[in-house]
Amino acid sequence: MAKSANIPRVVLVGLASCFGCQINITNVEKHLMEVLGQIDMRYWQLTSSDPMPERMDVAVIEGAVTTQEAKDTVERLRERADVVVTIGACANTAGIPGLALRGYDGRQQEVYGSHVPSLVEDDAIAPQAVHGVIEVDYEVACCPIDALDFVRTLQSALYGSNAYRRTSTLCGECKRNERGCFFGRETLCLGLVTRSGCGAKCPNLGRPCNGCAGLSPDANVESARKAAERSNIDVAAFDGALEIFNMTGLGEQRV
Amino acid sequence: MSRAEIKVDHIARVEGHGDIHLVVEDGRVQTCELRVTEAARLFESMVKGRPYHEVPYIASRVCGICSASHTVTDILAIERIFGVRTTDRTHALRELLVYGSFLQNHATHLFVFAAPDFLGHKSVFPLAESNPALFENALRMKALGNELCTRIGGRSIHPITAVVGGFTDEVSREDYLQLADKMDAMVGFAKDCVDLFDDFGAVSMQTEGDMLAMVEPGRYPVIGSDAARFVRAGYEFDAQDEEAEIEEYAIDHSAAFLSRAARTGSSFMASALSRINASWDNLTEQARFAAAKAGLRPDEFNPYANNIAQAVELVDVLVRCADLCRRLAADEFEGSSEPVAFEVRAGVGVGFSEAPRGSLFHKLELDGDGRVVQAGIITPTAMNIANIERDMRTLAELLVEQDRTPEDIQLEVEKLVRAYDPCLSCSVH
Repeated sequence: MAKSANIPRVVLVGLASCFGCQINITNVEKHLMEVLGQIDMRYWQLTSSDPMPERMDVAVIEGAVTTQEAKDTVERLRERADVVVTIGACANTAGIPGLALRGYDGRQQEVYGSHVPSLVEDDAIAPQAVHGVIEVDYEVACCPIDALDFVRTLQSALYGSNAYRRTSTLCGECKRNERGCFFGRETLCLGLVTRSGCGAKCPNLGRPCNGCAGLSPDANVESARKAAERSNIDVAAFDGALEIFNMTGLGEQRV
Repeated sequence: MSRAEIKVDHIARVEGHGDIHLVVEDGRVQTCELRVTEAARLFESMVKGRPYHEVPYIASRVCGICSASHTVTDILAIERIFGVRTTDRTHALRELLVYGSFLQNHATHLFVFAAPDFLGHKSVFPLAESNPALFENALRMKALGNELCTRIGGRSIHPITAVVGGFTDEVSREDYLQLADKMDAMVGFAKDCVDLFDDFGAVSMQTEGDMLAMVEPGRYPVIGSDAARFVRAGYEFDAQDEEAEIEEYAIDHSAAFLSRAARTGSSFMASALSRINASWDNLTEQARFAAAKAGLRPDEFNPYANNIAQAVELVDVLVRCADLCRRLAADEFEGSSEPVAFEVRAGVGVGFSEAPRGSLFHKLELDGDGRVVQAGIITPTAMNIANIERDMRTLAELLVEQDRTPEDIQLEVEKLVRAYDPCLSCSVH
């Protein structure tokens, strides 16, 4: 792979997360070399040991901001990168780490007891989505991301296409698969309010949607609550489920 | 060398964030720390109050590499509390799901993380040019693990279909047969991997700690047993007593808890190597032969040998999966995998499994509505950190004695840490 000055420089940084989105990118084995062949991935933390470059074309961020260090890293990336892409629920909405948001104070003691390691105590801040700290240009949704969706978004970021995102809800997408509806079986599903784009992967396999793509801008949450009630689904359970991926807006404060 | 300081900020090619800090003064190791700087996501706290069915879904997110293990282990904890009796078919599918993550994890660790050290590269990518056949096969092995997870769990990371009581979906008979053929076709390469990692060589050393693995008479178990064995101390304990048997303690330079065996006070290693030491006789014949050919036999306490042990498990898992898939296709297992009915009730239970990197415990306490009262997760890496530090010290002292350069010592220490295949995001969670 010849490296020249013209090869776009892409940096990938992992914050608080399970690293699954990065792993999913390495999982497109067949496309891996084609994708990576187009770009200069000097600072892919998981697979290489080179330090962060001064300038970069694209910064890809995985994970939620949960430490002061992560906040500084994200700000530095914004200064050095032309385009910022966030991947996965953790980065986009604070995701699963964001579950700790409600009643955040005291949670460290709950896990560590009276002796919280100074390494944790000194640096930790309440979980935030990346867009709570800096401006984000592109987002790749879901938990974990679909690797080909990432490839598509990366192409857009590299070639400057517009950052259009789907706004419709998952329900429409799911209906076209003709697999029936969980509400009809009095089973809670978040397809009514979740952003579309995944093809309804979970409902297709018999599992209700947990909302990993985040709240759709078109979602009418109040109406969805009523629909749940009509289907004998506990509204409190519906509201509780919205918390898994921070659809309640706790992790959604914009800059 | 009067004073040498080795500082590695952010160890590359391991999962998660960690630093190494090693100070050698007048030929003696003064400081030897593996600083686990991974951000604490506070899983045990965040699941409190959540309904039981969300918990495996959330716990899966502890780790992208061993998500199948976290999901299955949490399900096992819940099923123990509710007294759910699942079918043999469901058990077989869960084994396949865990094995899928073994293939995927071991191939990633061996080739993407560990191999570059031995080949003088900084990442796996130069391998594509220097040895395209090896690179191609390594990716195929990883892809096969992902395919297995995808066929059984619905996707390669964070399984969709595995729920309390069974599976929400299953692939066809033909799919199982195709998978079996693909497993067979990879066995040859897996055996080559064992030889390759044997050829790489390693510093001759022994861990001073113990080794822990699940055991079961006549089996090389990954789920389904509650017996955990400390190989060196030579005793077994019931996984339901894990909290009393494994003592967790916090230190300032690690966001992860460290562990020691409560009875002996010893640090220990949970790993593929521990499993091979604990269940050598129950490896499949092909895997045992491959291991013996590479000189790996119990008792083997050199932690570097974990690389070879993982390669041996690639052989073992492929052979087992081919068999499981054929038996699933032939409908040899009792019952269907459709989730069985159960009643929610209060209680405490521990889920126990062998994750790719070693033993994994999930303890849950649920109230009468099935909501979490308490949760506790002990991951293989959390158990390993204390032993890694201990081995780092042993190794550094050995190398200082041999007058090796600081650069050399740093590389060897990094190789040692990577041989443990640590998952630092798992360890903190």
